[in-house]
Amino acid sequence: MQAFLDSCAKSVLEGDADKAEKLAREALSKKYSPLEVIEKGFVKGIHEVGRLWEEGTLFLPELVVGAEAMKRAMGILQPALTKSGERPRSLGHVVIGTIEGDIHDIGKTLVATMLSANGFEITDLGADVSALKFVDEAQAKGAGCIAISALLTTTMSGQRRVIDELKKRALKDRVRVMVGGAPCSDEWAREIGADGYAGDAVAAVTLAQSLMGAR
Amino acid sequence: MTKDFLGTIKHRVVLFDGGLGSMLIAAGLTQREVPETWVVSKSDKISEVHAAYLAAGAEVATTASFGANRIKLQSSEPGRKLDPIKVNEKAVEIARKAVERSGKHDLFLAGDIGPTGLFFPPVGTLKPEEARAAFKEQAKALDRAGVDILIMETMYDLREAVEALRAAREVSNLPVVVSLTFDRKPRGFFTMMGDTTEQAAETLLKEGASVIGANCTLQSGQMIELVEEFRLVTDAPLIFQPNAGRPIMEHGIPVYKQRPREFAEDIVKIVAAGANAVGGCCGTTPDFIREVHSSLIHGK
Repeated sequence: MQAFLDSCAKSVLEGDADKAEKLAREALSKKYSPLEVIEKGFVKGIHEVGRLWEEGTLFLPELVVGAEAMKRAMGILQPALTKSGERPRSLGHVVIGTIEGDIHDIGKTLVATMLSANGFEITDLGADVSALKFVDEAQAKGAGCIAISALLTTTMSGQRRVIDELKKRALKDRVRVMVGGAPCSDEWAREIGADGYAGDAVAAVTLAQSLMGAR
Repeated sequence: MTKDFLGTIKHRVVLFDGGLGSMLIAAGLTQREVPETWVVSKSDKISEVHAAYLAAGAEVATTASFGANRIKLQSSEPGRKLDPIKVNEKAVEIARKAVERSGKHDLFLAGDIGPTGLFFPPVGTLKPEEARAAFKEQAKALDRAGVDILIMETMYDLREAVEALRAAREVSNLPVVVSLTFDRKPRGFFTMMGDTTEQAAETLLKEGASVIGANCTLQSGQMIELVEEFRLVTDAPLIFQPNAGRPIMEHGIPVYKQRPREFAEDIVKIVAAGANAVGGCCGTTPDFIREVHSSLIHGK
């Protein structure tokens, strides 16, 4: 079994989506626990990808193909998980987007991909998203977290508007807010009352885990 | 008459200008516009920035065409309304007039080329030939409009930089400067795609770049070590244009905390480490360039 789990992890680390999918199907046909295969196999792989990315051994292309392999495997295992009644540790729902007036979405998409690969449920609103839309969606989805990207010094003040809107609807205590993007910082997050700042996609996963009590 | 940029850079340090985009934002560029919108509709504002940099001692006016390749323009609502060729021609005209009005001689006009903003597989779906075609169109327009050199800046993927460089070589005989953007990781300096200084130097010089180097992402202090790393792997002319530190919001206005003096002190170290051309990127202003200018003059 350990050898099987290791090859699941390895398929993600190597960004081999076909192999990841094949292993996920094999797990089902061999009646392995989908939960165990996800958590002790594929998730280990994506964690390793994240670690190697942070230290500068792997880069954006490897991160993207690793996350893609992870998604393919999850696509097979998730339905089986639901059917078997096993429940993955609930990591929660994150509503993510780039703030109004800002069309940069590369970083935001990367964060969404990594959060999803790490087991969060994601609603990606895309770019140029208004403060109202962020809060409406979070409310509709019962999301525990809103992640807002801003790449311009001219648009980052929109992040504050999302927090103001949450306060207005008395949701500030229930919905955590994380911010990211080139001009943002820990100080900025503190200044506007966000719950945290993440400088890259891997840091965003760690932050979301700590904010949502998944670790 | 073609001015001898390569001859100049070989025997003394050439001072480029500072950031344009952050200056335009300070001058009122809104979130619903791209800098190229102003090339067409508010050329006087761009002209003022060029004039301020030249008055501060910059020897190079870099055209406001960073985002004026067809692919980049097509990817934004305001950009879609613009004709890439006309934007490039106009950007050169604005810079040229600023140079003429400065009354100074021996200034250079640098045609600016930035990345497409899209990615090659596996990250994105951009095809190398699409990138090449967009860069060819832009390089040709800049060359014909009369720039002295072409400069490719903030390239985050060596492969895309190579496409831009090859495109330029196909349509122009001008010297080409290629500047990538590197980040600092625990294991060293890399582009977003993992390219190293050694790979960059080897590839770009083989492909015909006249000057290579780095800009953006790193602040002046962080860039000194990158210069040293580049100098270890090549004898070619090098250019470095760091950012002015990370902006801090104060009362809703972005403020760059780094002072021109500190920036200039770092630039002196960057020159000592082997840079042949220096300038500024995001957040730098004419005050930064003035301070660098005086440090470099007094340093000699």
